[in-house]
Amino acid sequence: MGPLIPNEIITGDWNFVIAILIGIAFGFLLEASGFSSSRNLAGVFYGYNFVVLRVFFTAVIVAMVGLLYFDYFGWLDLSKIFILPTYLSPMILGSVIMGIGFVMGGFCPGTSFTAIAIGKMDALFFAIGLFIGIFIFGESFPLFKDYYYSGSMGNVTLTDVTGIAAPWFAFGFTVIALAAFWVSAEIEKKVRKNTKEYKF
Amino acid sequence: MNKNYIFLTVLMLLLALGTFFVPKKQLVSHEVKPEKLLLDITQPSRYVTTDQVAKMIIEHDPTLELIDVRPADEYDKFSLPDAVNVPLKDILTPEGQDNLGIEDMNAVFFSNDDIMSDQAWVISTRLGYKNIYVMKGGLNCWIETIINPVEPPETAPKTAFETYQFRKAAGMYFTGGNSIKTDTGVKKAKIKVRRKKKEKAASGGC
Repeated sequence: MGPLIPNEIITGDWNFVIAILIGIAFGFLLEASGFSSSRNLAGVFYGYNFVVLRVFFTAVIVAMVGLLYFDYFGWLDLSKIFILPTYLSPMILGSVIMGIGFVMGGFCPGTSFTAIAIGKMDALFFAIGLFIGIFIFGESFPLFKDYYYSGSMGNVTLTDVTGIAAPWFAFGFTVIALAAFWVSAEIEKKVRKNTKEYKF
Repeated sequence: MNKNYIFLTVLMLLLALGTFFVPKKQLVSHEVKPEKLLLDITQPSRYVTTDQVAKMIIEHDPTLELIDVRPADEYDKFSLPDAVNVPLKDILTPEGQDNLGIEDMNAVFFSNDDIMSDQAWVISTRLGYKNIYVMKGGLNCWIETIINPVEPPETAPKTAFETYQFRKAAGMYFTGGNSIKTDTGVKKAKIKVRRKKKEKAASGGC
């Protein structure tokens, strides 16, 4: 059946409608997970709050395992979905910059807008900085354009690169994630006194 | 610790283990795509407009060959006059390829939108067939432009009105107009394709 637009079940005009619905759902879930609080978000870097790790790891393993079943049931043809092209070293550098910004500002781009939606001032300034950063990046882009596009590996998946079947990754990530859940819960119990407040 | 979390942990582990037992799909080996194909794909020259197709149908253009790449059940419900049905999944079968590569014929693929017909175009181009085209916008565009054309605003250029006039007339041709209620179906005539040995079109390419 899926993906719906390449299979012509619905037309490409629906792209933006679907985008806005997913966006609303995503924003709601970020807020519901407590991601509009920079204390929750940055806690993972200081080792007292691992809600970010748990929420994102849950999303990753549910999506990973779920997609494999969806493909099997014929609901979503995995060979037709878009795979983001990989640029190895620019992506690593980009993640480091993103991580530094995350721990300094206490938000990532998406969560800062969720926090603005509930009226957080720090998020507002974070978002202003975000746009200043985007502007600087855009204006100086020609300077590092070559690096930006270097090391292209194409639209590859881990299976393409390593030759290891997808279920191994799904299972491996699931085990790591589940272990991380339990370990982080233990750490939180030791570090924090008021565990009642953040129910695990 | 909450019992629910133990249950969820076990459930997630079992689901992840289950993915090992999901049967694998046959992976298509990736062939090297020729640069020419890449070049051709980026060219819009393969597109014909619904207006052009309508004109050719009305004029009974003998070189026009309409190929509907939608599934058979959709083809049975509605299609263009004299179109043959070659569902996208059958395009590689010998029966499907009989409709391609006929000398002096221009094959025009169409589907609901133009995504499937574009795919059919890429596949048949890779197989080395010539003179194949895609109807831009597909049947959705056909309904919008030919069957239900929108009158251009008064400030539109003269050509827009000419196009509109043509579309109105073409729409009447295809729907039977308002007065003469014949059965709308210029029903799909079973086209007997002359099966002709093609000069090894399918063997080359990839």
